[in-house]
Amino acid sequence: MAHLRDTKTRRGVTLVAGSAALALALVGCSGGGGSEEPAPERDLGTPVAGQIKEGSLDGVTLTFAGSGGVFQDGQTEALWNPFAEASGAKFNQDAFDAGKLKAMVDSGNVSWDIVNTTQFDTARGCGTLYEKYDYSQIDTSKIPEGTITDECMVPQILYGLVVVYNTDKFGDNPPTSAADFFDTKKFPGKRTVSQSTYVDPQTVEFALTAQGKDVKNLKPEDIEGAFDMYRNLGDDVIGWTTGAQAQQQLEAGEAVMGLVWSGRGYGAANAGAPVAPMWDQWMIMVDSNGIPKGVKDKQAAFAAVNYSIGAEQQAKMTELTSYGGVNVDAKPQMDELLSQWMTTEHLDTGIAPNVDFWVKNYDALSAAWAGWATGN
Amino acid sequence: MSDGTVTEAIAVSGADAGRRKRGPRNWRPLLLLVPAFVIVTLFFLAPLIDVFIRSITDPQPGVQNYVWLVSTPANLNVVLRTFGTAILVTIVCLLLAYPYAYLMTIVSDRTRNLMQLFIMMPLWTSILVRTLAWMVLLQDTGPINGLIAAWFGIGPIPLIRTTFGVALGMSQVLLPFMVLPLYSSMAKIDKRLLPAASNLGANPVTAFFTVYLPLSKPGIFSGGVTVFILGLGFYIIPALLGSSKEIMISALIQQQISVFLMWGQGTALGIFLLVCTILILVVVSRLNRGGSLFPGVNR
Repeated sequence: MAHLRDTKTRRGVTLVAGSAALALALVGCSGGGGSEEPAPERDLGTPVAGQIKEGSLDGVTLTFAGSGGVFQDGQTEALWNPFAEASGAKFNQDAFDAGKLKAMVDSGNVSWDIVNTTQFDTARGCGTLYEKYDYSQIDTSKIPEGTITDECMVPQILYGLVVVYNTDKFGDNPPTSAADFFDTKKFPGKRTVSQSTYVDPQTVEFALTAQGKDVKNLKPEDIEGAFDMYRNLGDDVIGWTTGAQAQQQLEAGEAVMGLVWSGRGYGAANAGAPVAPMWDQWMIMVDSNGIPKGVKDKQAAFAAVNYSIGAEQQAKMTELTSYGGVNVDAKPQMDELLSQWMTTEHLDTGIAPNVDFWVKNYDALSAAWAGWATGN
Repeated sequence: MSDGTVTEAIAVSGADAGRRKRGPRNWRPLLLLVPAFVIVTLFFLAPLIDVFIRSITDPQPGVQNYVWLVSTPANLNVVLRTFGTAILVTIVCLLLAYPYAYLMTIVSDRTRNLMQLFIMMPLWTSILVRTLAWMVLLQDTGPINGLIAAWFGIGPIPLIRTTFGVALGMSQVLLPFMVLPLYSSMAKIDKRLLPAASNLGANPVTAFFTVYLPLSKPGIFSGGVTVFILGLGFYIIPALLGSSKEIMISALIQQQISVFLMWGQGTALGIFLLVCTILILVVVSRLNRGGSLFPGVNR
């Protein structure tokens, strides 16, 4: 019996060793793709937003990883397909996930060229996960002031975290400040606020604004206090974990007020819900065009981003997605409802995020947010 | 029961004897294992080892990620909640599935096929579609609360964003994994045992608890373990039907991996969940000595 067991074990060892060797061989093969020759430097001339030399990128393939749904469909139609047609490049679409991006960069096998991510992600990962932009290849002259918040981003859309309230309840006496959101005596009823696993530091900044603090001058010890303000709303606060859920809560009247993404508020209004945005104190949000570190053809990616921020392209994107564009000359055709929800019409009352602070204090933010988002 | 065990014992020793007779040199049948072994090694074992190594090296070597895991109250709350929800779902599934599976053993073949079809049907529908349907049904202004308000004049009763709502949605998805092993174990029970028990003076309740229930134990264990372990990993249903207070550990892992990009902490959570699950399997298999934990596999 002992003899039997011994041979069995040995056989097992051989099998394991054999499989491991096979595994290594396969991994070795897949890792061999990194030694491609660098992309050629082409003469694309002085960049003008929204323009590209006809056929200058023939044979190039680019992939955009976005956040899906109507938003990415609209971007594809307004930005990337026209670019592909003009430049001769082929454009693929994929779904973005920051974890996947890190895996690509870590393994040196990057298959995305442009991604849609938050301005905090590009700021945090600038130089490690994202390429620095060569702004001489991008025409940034028409980009709204102050929206380029780090060296690894060109803004993609301009939206916001906005208080949306039920006009049946508060139509005569609407809320006019961040503090009103927390005033359940004057504005009774349930509020909805982000408890998504995705972090929006603006949610924290909003509560601190309600406390009368200046977003430009934040301290790490303020962070927990912001979450406490939401917790102190007790039974009057319900959370949303996805944008779709936020919209549904507003539409169904489950929440009489919500701190939600402007596009979701518009979605509820567009579906016929009696809701309106409060523009008095709203939190500006910008999504980045990020270029993953180690991308194969930087020049082509820059050219595509430069094309996408043209006035005409941005106007069309806004019409298709309802998200605010990032070209001050863009004149989208909007109906009355959409213009009522358009963040770019209200930049004067918007509060810009303190990106540097959140990059520096990301660990404190993520720890506090993890507790908040899991109901602790 | 004893009869079956004896027969099985004989069968097992017979197989043993046969194997012994063939001797150690007959290794060729083991080749049958190679495809499965290679796939498991390449696509499960190797990544798993990578995950473990990450959990003790990212961002620097050491056990800091595990220290973080156990020293953060929020994590422990979510872990407890995850196990609590999985246990609740297992119990709900068992209570719903047991009578159903029993009924399947006493009806005609045609009805049984129909019942099997009904129980399999949810598996063929997208989990997202089903969950969205629950969202509509359970919301405060949904039809269930509408009926309650119309009939009893109360409400709305909170159904969505409660543990109840999450357990309901999860139970619907996991019910087939309870019904099928229960049925396969009940189908083997000799129906004459119950009349025999009552013949010997047992009332129906006693007969059920002393004869039928123990005989169906293998099905309860294998169904229970399957539902419980699948339940531990649920992500989308707690996110959609629950609030932040129902979020389970998979959401925590996703957050660490995909949002915070803290892979050391995310992988530590994953390894922790795996170890807990293995421990539970060990404990349950000890409790269920002699039986198999895997539906359809007999020892």
